[in-house]
Amino acid sequence: MLEAYIQSYNEAVFETDKQAALDVVNRALADGLSPEDIVFKLVIPAVELMMAFIEKDPDANLAQHFMTAQIAADVTEKMLEKFSNPPEMIGRVIIGAAYGDLHSLGKRIVTGCLKSLMVDVVDLGTNVSAEKFVETAIAEDAQVIAVSAMMVHTATSDRGSLRVRSLLQEQGLEHKIKLAVGGAPYRFDPELYLAVGADAWAPDGVTAAKVIVDLIREVKP
Amino acid sequence: MTPLQILTAAKNGNPAPRIPVFCNLLDQGARELGLSPKDFFGNGEYVADAQLRMQKRYGYDNVWSLHYVGKEAELLGCQEILFADDGAPNVADFVIKNLDDIAKFEIPADITKHPAWQSIADCMTILNSELGATHPLCAYVTASTTLPAILMGMDKWMELFLLGPFDLRDELLRKCSDFFQQQIAGLRKLGAKVLIYSTPFGSPYFLSRKQIETTVMPWMQRDLRPGGTEDIVYYCGMAPFNDVIDLVLDELQIASHYISPLANLAEAKQRINSRGLTCGVIDDIKMIHWSEAQTRAEVKRIIEIGKTGGHFLFGTGVMPLAVPETNIRAMIDAAFEYGRLP
Ligand code: B12
Repeated sequence: MLEAYIQSYNEAVFETDKQAALDVVNRALADGLSPEDIVFKLVIPAVELMMAFIEKDPDANLAQHFMTAQIAADVTEKMLEKFSNPPEMIGRVIIGAAYGDLHSLGKRIVTGCLKSLMVDVVDLGTNVSAEKFVETAIAEDAQVIAVSAMMVHTATSDRGSLRVRSLLQEQGLEHKIKLAVGGAPYRFDPELYLAVGADAWAPDGVTAAKVIVDLIREVKP
Repeated sequence: MTPLQILTAAKNGNPAPRIPVFCNLLDQGARELGLSPKDFFGNGEYVADAQLRMQKRYGYDNVWSLHYVGKEAELLGCQEILFADDGAPNVADFVIKNLDDIAKFEIPADITKHPAWQSIADCMTILNSELGATHPLCAYVTASTTLPAILMGMDKWMELFLLGPFDLRDELLRKCSDFFQQQIAGLRKLGAKVLIYSTPFGSPYFLSRKQIETTVMPWMQRDLRPGGTEDIVYYCGMAPFNDVIDLVLDELQIASHYISPLANLAEAKQRINSRGLTCGVIDDIKMIHWSEAQTRAEVKRIIEIGKTGGHFLFGTGVMPLAVPETNIRAMIDAAFEYGRLP
């Protein structure tokens, strides 16, 4: 029974058909599957499958990333409300678009993927100062700051990721808080993340979630 | 031959002394004149002056109309652009804040009467009188299927595009396509000879080929119907689109293709072949940290892939301000040198 649901759910996600995916979830619930099963046996494996698929086919398009994130985050959120015990989250991430940058899609896709993998995400919106990133990470006890930048100048600005790095350094927080970056300029120049002082980067939303979970594991025992 | 003739020869596959060399220096103009980007872009005469000076200094073939994408949003009611001293201007006020705004959103009856159009007209008038007879004047127009990204934000647009309500989506697309038709007609009237059709939603990087065929293509056809496609360059904001080159040639009759540095250029050239113009584009984001020798080597590599059999142009993306002038110089020199034709 579960197998059939998994298959039709995966098909719906790959076809970027949100309604079909939600229908599968509702049928599964009606059939007696628990919300926990839906998240851990349906949604997370589907995101992981998408990761494997994308690793083989880097040409997966943005609509697929967007819908994977959108559907998975939606379903997870709905199911979490129904969990009998509050689930254990993997960790916490502070995300936002870099200072001076008003592009919101990249961060939204990454957020969706992270949420569906049971990572807590605090979204600071667009045009976020480095100070705000670091303050919030401290206040919220987060393991990762994730900065999205869609333009060269907002990626490389000394008021963006570079400043986050220097604040972390000054405050002796580098062993506790990691810095991940992403967005168009990093895709055009895969070495760029080093020049902006980041610990990691990722070329797409699904890979981003994976890379960020790895960073969380590095600092969280 | 004039640069305009060299471009025509490349498009038609006729003999010419060299390939055309395009370089897109937009934000560099403010630095050239020692002005803030806001003051600079506010005055069409400044922009024309800077375009002429930079073209003269480096000697590349094209010049640009006053352009930043936010200008299109301003023509449609955007009240705030975030100008940065170190980079491109960014839309900071979304005209469409929620879906209800779509019904209220109106396209001006004549955008060339809008105050924001004046600086474009001033700029083009100067460029046209100085170089119009000899050099290709470039202008940029955002496709109806992409324009909503700067009117409502990319994430909201992606959601509306993929998940509906589709009647609202199509209403917005119709308005954007009407705007597109007005804008391109206005630019042609001012003397624009090369129209960059910016259509990231027409790229398989964004959508599946099926989605492009069924949903995007009819809007692209609508955008471009008046005036035809002879002067159009297919450009996906530097996203790759090799897999739809055939479709674009067959369904839109667009012959000139601006190939992403992230795409396989040899494959693109093979697909386009003598049916049109393949534009080989350098990854100008890497040019920020390349040495002059690396820049030259990359120009050589690109041109060697493309120039055999003609029908080829060398160009850049939206050159970031951080690219050192020495690399711009090295790039242009190398392009002229390796771009010589037998
Ligand atoms: C679509 C597009 C446009 C559209 C829509 C823009 C918008 N979003 O509002 C239009 C045509 C309107 C446009 C306009 C402009 N654009 Co534009 N555009 C693009 C394009 C093709 C895609 C950008 C985009 O929206 N992607 C959507 C995101 C979600 O996709 P993504 O980057 O693949 O995101 C994935 C990863 O990056 C990753 N990721 C994202 N964030 C994060 C964060 C973390 C922490 C991690 C780990 C991963 C991660 O996961 C994401 C999901 O899979 C890119 C080139 C390209 N091929 O990427 C140029 C590009 C971003 N644009 C560029 C420029 C210059 C502009 C303009 C400034 C041009 C101008 N002179 O006016 C304007 C600015 C408009 C504005 N906003 O005011 C440049 C920027 C580089 C530079 N020179 O600074 C680019 C890179 C093109 C280029 N190479 O020249 N653009």
